Amino acid sequence: MAEITLDTVSKSFGAVKVIDDISLTVAAGEFVVFLGPSGSGKSTLLRMIAGLETIDSGRLEIGGRESQNLAPGQRNVAMVFQNYALYPHMSVRENMAFGLRNIRMAPDEITRRVEEAARILEMDALLDRRPAQLSGGQRQRVAIGRAIVKEPAAFLFDEPLSNLDAALRVRTRVELAELHQRMQSTMIYVTHDQTEAMTMADRIVVLNDCRIEQIGTPMEVYTAPATRFVAGFIGSPAMNFLPVQIEGSAAVLADGARVPLTVAPEGAAELGIRPEAVQVVGPDEAVVTGEARVVEHLGDRTLIYAVLPGGAEIIAQDGGRSTVAPGDAVPLRFDTSQLHLFDAAGRALPAA
Amino acid sequence: MSGPMTAQTARRFNLAGGAITLVTVICAVIWAFPIYWGIISSLKPEDEVVRPVIELWPETLTFDHYWFALTETQIGSWYLNSIVTALGVTFITVTTSMFAGYAISQLRFPGRTALWWLILASFMVPTQVLIINHFVLMANMGLLNSWAGIILPQLIHPVIIIVYKQFFDQVPRDFREAAVMDNASEWRILFKVYVPMNWGVTTALSIVTFIWAWNAFLWPFLAVTKTEMMTITVGITQVWDAFGVYYARQLSAAVLAGFPVALAYLLFQRRVTQAITLSAGIKG
Repeated sequence: MAEITLDTVSKSFGAVKVIDDISLTVAAGEFVVFLGPSGSGKSTLLRMIAGLETIDSGRLEIGGRESQNLAPGQRNVAMVFQNYALYPHMSVRENMAFGLRNIRMAPDEITRRVEEAARILEMDALLDRRPAQLSGGQRQRVAIGRAIVKEPAAFLFDEPLSNLDAALRVRTRVELAELHQRMQSTMIYVTHDQTEAMTMADRIVVLNDCRIEQIGTPMEVYTAPATRFVAGFIGSPAMNFLPVQIEGSAAVLADGARVPLTVAPEGAAELGIRPEAVQVVGPDEAVVTGEARVVEHLGDRTLIYAVLPGGAEIIAQDGGRSTVAPGDAVPLRFDTSQLHLFDAAGRALPAA
Repeated sequence: MSGPMTAQTARRFNLAGGAITLVTVICAVIWAFPIYWGIISSLKPEDEVVRPVIELWPETLTFDHYWFALTETQIGSWYLNSIVTALGVTFITVTTSMFAGYAISQLRFPGRTALWWLILASFMVPTQVLIINHFVLMANMGLLNSWAGIILPQLIHPVIIIVYKQFFDQVPRDFREAAVMDNASEWRILFKVYVPMNWGVTTALSIVTFIWAWNAFLWPFLAVTKTEMMTITVGITQVWDAFGVYYARQLSAAVLAGFPVALAYLLFQRRVTQAITLSAGIKG
């Protein structure tokens, strides 16, 4: 268990900057998720911590030890790869023991650790099988087991669930969260899947375009996104964005409808509001009335894809037994406690 | 269009199939005939061999020539020399090529590309061009008429380096990275991950190198002048005496020389074909 600190680290591939001056501290025992779209630099950042990519400038500390110039094997971190990278010619036992044999650990200790890891992951019966004889989920466990036996300062996961089918992914997600609670180790987990990030993370680091957009707990990132990018990336269906003019204490939509605000600077802005804060109401309570185009019944709730008079598209949420049909006029009200405003540069403005 | 096949079209297919089979069989016979002819000739008495008619089966069956080759020549030493030199060439060539292929495929060092081009270029130079140099070199080193002298110049097989490089290139990067994270040294990555993951290539290349080395004639013929140091391919040219050429005798020695390779072919048929396809893809 160790703290990991990145201090103004940067990296370029040739002329292309892939990590731009990132500083970040992962506390000991914390489960941190790097979340971002592909090309955001999240995997590169993880690989820089692992030592598989060099750090051009800046400082990396793992457990208080300066590590940016250490070989990957000497950083005392273990990595679980997306494709597991289990050696196909070795049994599960040999796969887990390989890293320990490389550092000439005593055979008794190797056996003890392998059996301990097998017990934790409930795969004692699989120890003498080859990877080819295992299912996807079992391979995933072996890959994690191979990390556990090293008793590392930190675990690094590079999209470890992306090769599993949906049902198994949900189950493994819960198992990983349990594993973290049991082992209390520092874990860094890279994913592009916001559900994985929201469900497992102590803190989420949202990356976009080689930079950190926001660091925060899942609820902070969800309820108080620091940028328009974070607001749009997290949440499904995505947040609605409407161009508005701020006049006095109201945001004015394209068709003239006014949404009351408490504080906000005057001028053009973008209003963000999540579908669950756009409610279908009676005609007299409505702020604005749209026309329903598509109605999705999800059982517990209904999503209504509507078009506002100004031409803007909006997703609203109604109860599971909603009677709205495509073509209907839908009176909508905005929950003003859940409004977000963004300036032209995409930064969040104080709103509501 | 996709209606059931009529009896007529079925028959036409059968005819086509039959014709193809026939052609293949004829080709196979043409290919196999010299071997058959060699073997039966070695079982005929000498006067029957030189008779100007084609006799597909000997009138008198005799094993005298084999007896002669096995008792009156130094075939025992020749076998030993062939085994030692062929195994030596195989072991050293495959090991060094494995290292070179790994280095070029996986390591980053200055001059890597230049080295790779050099290896590719050396592939264009036929051994025969270098043979005088080899001879002078071996003579200066005092290695003529020795196993080392036979082995050393035969160790140049760029094609094996190329095949290894290609196979190592195809190993997904994750395996190397996992091994690096696992604290493995380059030696351990090569011997514990890359080589075991490509055992098929190593066996195939070993078999094919062994067959090349066993069948090698030109270099062993130049490097050795003493009868007892000859390899079997060179030795069989010695089965004559003052009275001239004995075809049946020569053929029986040739059959004996080819026997171990034929056996290797039969035992490892699939691997051999695989190896030939592997190296043929590059040899063009």
